[in-house]
Amino acid sequence: MNLAIKDIRFNLARFALTALGIGFLLMGAIGAIGLYRGIVADALLVIDHIGADLWVVQGERVGPFAEGSSISSTMDRRVEGVEGIASVRRFVQFSQQFSFAGKVRRATITGLDYPRDDGAWFELKAGRHLEASHFEAIADDSVGLPLGATIRLAKDDYRIVGLTHGLVDSAGDGLLFVSINDATAIASRRPSEQVLLARETSGNAAPQGDGASPSSVPQDSKIAAVLVGLAPGADVARIKAAILAWGDTNVLSSAEQRDLLLNQRLWRLRLQILAFASVLLLVTAIVISLIIYTLTMEKLHQIALLKLLGARNSAIVAMILQQAGLIGLFGFGLAMLLSHLTFPNFPRRIVMLPQDLGIFFAILCVICLVASWFGIAQALKVRAQEVLS
Amino acid sequence: MTGAPLLSVRNAARHYQSGETVVRALDGASLEAHAGELIGIMGPSGSGKSTLLLICGLLEPPSAGEIYIRDRLVSYPGADLDKLRGFRRDHIGFVFQKANLIPFLTATENVSIALEIADVEARAARGYATQLLGALDLGHRIDNRPSRLSGGEQQRVAVARALANDPPLILADEPTAALDSVRGRQVMELFRRIAVERSACVMVVTHDPRSLDLFDRVIELSDGRILSEPSQPVQAHP
Repeated sequence: MNLAIKDIRFNLARFALTALGIGFLLMGAIGAIGLYRGIVADALLVIDHIGADLWVVQGERVGPFAEGSSISSTMDRRVEGVEGIASVRRFVQFSQQFSFAGKVRRATITGLDYPRDDGAWFELKAGRHLEASHFEAIADDSVGLPLGATIRLAKDDYRIVGLTHGLVDSAGDGLLFVSINDATAIASRRPSEQVLLARETSGNAAPQGDGASPSSVPQDSKIAAVLVGLAPGADVARIKAAILAWGDTNVLSSAEQRDLLLNQRLWRLRLQILAFASVLLLVTAIVISLIIYTLTMEKLHQIALLKLLGARNSAIVAMILQQAGLIGLFGFGLAMLLSHLTFPNFPRRIVMLPQDLGIFFAILCVICLVASWFGIAQALKVRAQEVLS
Repeated sequence: MTGAPLLSVRNAARHYQSGETVVRALDGASLEAHAGELIGIMGPSGSGKSTLLLICGLLEPPSAGEIYIRDRLVSYPGADLDKLRGFRRDHIGFVFQKANLIPFLTATENVSIALEIADVEARAARGYATQLLGALDLGHRIDNRPSRLSGGEQQRVAVARALANDPPLILADEPTAALDSVRGRQVMELFRRIAVERSACVMVVTHDPRSLDLFDRVIELSDGRILSEPSQPVQAHP
């Protein structure tokens, strides 16, 4: 006779509510870790998928994600001439607010160096990739734009020709892809008064030396980086040395970009979420332990009776462990169910990795075992005659 | 009664330290009980009845003295009674004032659990439990949980559970205290039947003088000592 299952069936509502409570607690902890994973995944989306081996950015800077970067709009031609480089693309990304259907929307405009890059490196949920160098856009569905919609950015109208899903930046804003020239135009938009003031300043400026700009980077350049694809067998060190020798550029590998993003720009946020997740996990552990311990304490009279009837300790231990295990198992199952039902509706991506879930399950097993151990220690101390009390 | 006693209590004492005072719950009690006997243990509150039962039931060791069951020394001062759990299961059945049934088990399961603990196969245990309950006129209640049973029915299930392993010694501590006089009498008559039909020794702690006629003899306790000499039966029973 399985006493644990008999008891659960008898107190089914209490068991269900207990498992549900544990499920919600676990869901919170899974969500916190998932949010952390989601932020990291979102932040690395572009770096991991854009297919660049090297990022050529402004000299003495580590842009474009960890800090600002602005390079000449023709830098790609210079980079393309270096031996061992198979492909180059210009890259720009910036946040933009605009109105659509009477509401303010946010998006991160990302320039695609069309026709070299039509966006084939990301998957579409609907529509198509870019087929024209102007006035076409591909939006992530989180921006809230329907396929075929027309939006006004700067002074031009753009038609949404494609939709993606889950392509966001590290802040969670959906990406809006346009051609690099359109992106530059959108980023360069200035009010008329500002243009006039700039002309005035430029007209009054003293000529510098031979009249050339002191920097190869035009002050109005909006290009942040050049993405480099290496030819098979290319000597990376030699290519990097060649580009660094120019003096006005810096070269970073994709691995360095990942490191900068995660360990420089996002480290405080990551630490904060991890700390929060740890606190949540600790609270979960304490509450689950208390629930299991209390459930065992409530059974001390029955345990005394079982001892009076001559039950072996192993039978009593098995009953406590089975009940704790079943509560943990059902709680975990409910946490999984609730997480899968609710997290997709959250505004930020929650990533539940199998290894994280495995670790959560292992932690839950340990919690159940430790809590049971306390309960078992009490149960084994109970004397048979306590059934009379 | 003739033959070797089933239970032999020899000069058993149980003393508790309460602050600087020593409480003599049982103070040098000796008795012998034989198979087929129904023995009443009576006395005022605090006279040591329940302590005697706990010591006889191997639930408390005596502070002094010895307990023999079937000529085997089983309990003595400092005895590790937890090691006697198996022996207790096979030799002693308990019935208390409260039925102490497990609330999430049916009547049959409450009885068969005692058998399953003794490694009886589950189906056989349920079969025998059903048979026992039928014999105690509870055949119609086998699938009911304790909350659906009356006090008398619960107590009869507790009796069935005590009988499940066919123990030679049954100890009952005020089993009728929570029952009305009719139900109380029925339970006492049940013990009478068990003593006769199963040749079990049944010792019942009771305050109820209305059942005196059913006992083979009555042991009277006062201040931890046995007052009456338990050698002569109160009334002879076949």
